[in-house]
Amino acid sequence: MHELWITKIFNNTLAGPANALLNAIHFPAADPASPWSDWMVCEILVFLFVIVLFAILRARLSVDRPGKLQHTMEVLYDFVHASSEEIVGHEGPRYLFYFGTIFIFILFLNLIGLIPGFDSPTMYPMVPLAFAVCTFFFYHFTGVRANGAGYIKQFLGPFLIMAPLMLPIEIISHFARPLSLTVRLWANMFAGEQVYLTFISLTKVVIPVIFIGLHTFVAFLQAYIFMLLAMVYVGGAVSHEH
Amino acid sequence: MNKKLMMLAVTLLAIASPMFAQANGGAAAADPSNYRLAAAYIAMGIASGLCGLGQGRATASAAEAMARNPGAIAAIRVALILGLVLIESLALYTLVITFIAR
Repeated sequence: MHELWITKIFNNTLAGPANALLNAIHFPAADPASPWSDWMVCEILVFLFVIVLFAILRARLSVDRPGKLQHTMEVLYDFVHASSEEIVGHEGPRYLFYFGTIFIFILFLNLIGLIPGFDSPTMYPMVPLAFAVCTFFFYHFTGVRANGAGYIKQFLGPFLIMAPLMLPIEIISHFARPLSLTVRLWANMFAGEQVYLTFISLTKVVIPVIFIGLHTFVAFLQAYIFMLLAMVYVGGAVSHEH
Repeated sequence: MNKKLMMLAVTLLAIASPMFAQANGGAAAADPSNYRLAAAYIAMGIASGLCGLGQGRATASAAEAMARNPGAIAAIRVALILGLVLIESLALYTLVITFIAR
């Protein structure tokens, strides 16, 4: 399989530590010569980029003369804050750290694929799966913390007599959530790339640009939808049972 | 009109299934995994078609609601996106099934 130039650099220089780490967790790489895959490398790059971006932002914060970067990030913050308050309720901003992280990280993971020479890590099903599993555990954790042992009541339905019927349905529907989160993000990013590739092989010039525009829009939309669904799930988990 | 179209679709499907078996030849058609694959792909087609219908209806009424009450655009937009996402997830479950069937 063809690997990106940056993955090649990682495999040439950092293959040893990666193999040592993978062997330490008893999950050896399929090909010891190239333990790094494209999505891992791009994810690490995005991770470093976001860290550096926010370190710069943090150093340049100013009340008197906010720069362009600060304005942009304030708009983003207000947007996430308002959405969480609207969907989760008045205690929504408590969980802002998770929503904001997931929105910004997925957004940059989606957008890095638009730069020639890089791949979108969300095009590979493992990456959305990791986010979905994190979200799954996170909303159950918030639910248990907000409701204590009473959290189990949410799975039992409105009447206790219906509990044997409702419990399996609820369990299945809760396990379907990470599945649908994974497949939604992965399928949208993958399909966008495939459409773009098809049109570039058909028409070579001009027309594929339209699909890059569409793909950019989808990248924003899918990051927003992932955050929105995380909010909806957290909102459902922390709501006090009536 | 709708009933006629429905009848036409059902008839076409009924006619198409033996043709599918014939085109593949005897040995290939006897392999049950081919039928499984065909069923999964037809299911994907039906699912995305109906998903499109549902999303179209949802978007149409959301656009109408926005035109009637521009003050509520923000709330309608959130409800619209949530609804679209939940409709879409049904088609996505079918997509997962096509992967399982393969």
